[in-house]
Amino acid sequence: MLKKISLLLLLALSGAVKISAQSDTPVITGGLQYESTTSGGVTTMQPVIEPVVLIPLGDHWLIETRATFDEFIFREDGTSGPYHAQTFSTVDYLQLDYIVNSHLTVVVGRFLTPFGIYNERLYPVWLRNFQDVPVIFPIGNLTTASSDGAMIRGALISRKDVEVNYTAFFSTLSTVNRFESGRAGGGRVGVFLPQKRLEVGVSYEKLLQDQRQNSVGAHFAWQPYSAPLDLKAEYAHSRNGQGYWAEAGYRFSQFRGEDSWLGRFQAIGRVQQFEKGTASPIDGLPGANTRQVDFGLNYYLPHNVRLNTSYGRQFSPLGNSNIWNFEVTYRFLFPLIPGGHN
Amino acid sequence: MRKLLRVEILLMGVVFFCLASAQSRGQQPQSQSPKQPSAVHTAPSSSEGEKRFQANCGRCHQAPQDLSPREVKAVVRHMRVKAMLSAEDEQLILKYLAP
Repeated sequence: MLKKISLLLLLALSGAVKISAQSDTPVITGGLQYESTTSGGVTTMQPVIEPVVLIPLGDHWLIETRATFDEFIFREDGTSGPYHAQTFSTVDYLQLDYIVNSHLTVVVGRFLTPFGIYNERLYPVWLRNFQDVPVIFPIGNLTTASSDGAMIRGALISRKDVEVNYTAFFSTLSTVNRFESGRAGGGRVGVFLPQKRLEVGVSYEKLLQDQRQNSVGAHFAWQPYSAPLDLKAEYAHSRNGQGYWAEAGYRFSQFRGEDSWLGRFQAIGRVQQFEKGTASPIDGLPGANTRQVDFGLNYYLPHNVRLNTSYGRQFSPLGNSNIWNFEVTYRFLFPLIPGGHN
Repeated sequence: MRKLLRVEILLMGVVFFCLASAQSRGQQPQSQSPKQPSAVHTAPSSSEGEKRFQANCGRCHQAPQDLSPREVKAVVRHMRVKAMLSAEDEQLILKYLAP
């Protein structure tokens, strides 16, 4: 009897797997990167892997998660001595999404704090134009840039010429290893013009613990159709300080197409400035007023491989420094269930 | 013994139903294929899908190379949540990436 039931369950399971293989195939995607940085004469190396697992369920559900595993390799005395390595791993998000309709998606679990655009949209290693995060990044992302709780998001207005999007979230305090988050609430509102590819928006976050401080931010993004330009900027303010970054990228695809040897190059530049406010030992911000300018050249190889190079100069009362970066990044994507290509 | 037999028959019935529905779901696209728009009609919707892709996803990245139709649904669902795409956007981009 038990054998028959087991056989029947096995048959049912194979049927279910057959369904999922045809429609809801889970995938693993993400980035694999080797990064070398020389800052103020000190060179460090950092291999990173950021896997993302996506499991769609039916027409309304999605389970998604991203983790980061990186190793920080450095010399004992900065520029001399034996090499040492420290390994870090974090869960960036592990969330369950329920898409109610085009205007509302409910997210529960651990998610990226929706403050500004950098954390949610530009942070993955395979998307960043510059591998160094902006100096103002910790503003609005005071704890771990991830929140544990619930979020609603969607488009209040979604028309061909204009979209008004929003997010609102609440996060609880968590000290669980790799799931740390602060008690906070906030949201973001953006106006996006699809026909211009222009977006502006504002963000707000209130930390509901310790000093209960407010963070406000504004963002701008424009990718005109007429030229392969990529312009982005953010401003953020909190009692710990305020500042901005503005970044421009130009892909040489206008000359011989984006698959030509010339069209695979992208020139990038970024300026940023930070004014120190009330210092806090955990704010993650520079210890003094800081200005930085970066230039770089990226090359998009076939098969989702990219080379990034950049040079930056940081100006600070604590000491000026040169920052050199070189990275190789591979973006991967595979189905989690084995099967045919189609 | 009779009770066990009934349970067994009931289980077989459930499994048969599951398998039959799985098969019919698997055949659905084929049975619906005559109702699909012709290539001439899909051209405008494909270009509309490309427009939606470029307007939304293309702001941050290009379409991943070597994307198979099996992987598209999960990727576009992820983009729907991240980029706050509408249901119409999702369908058009799905058609564009996996025609």
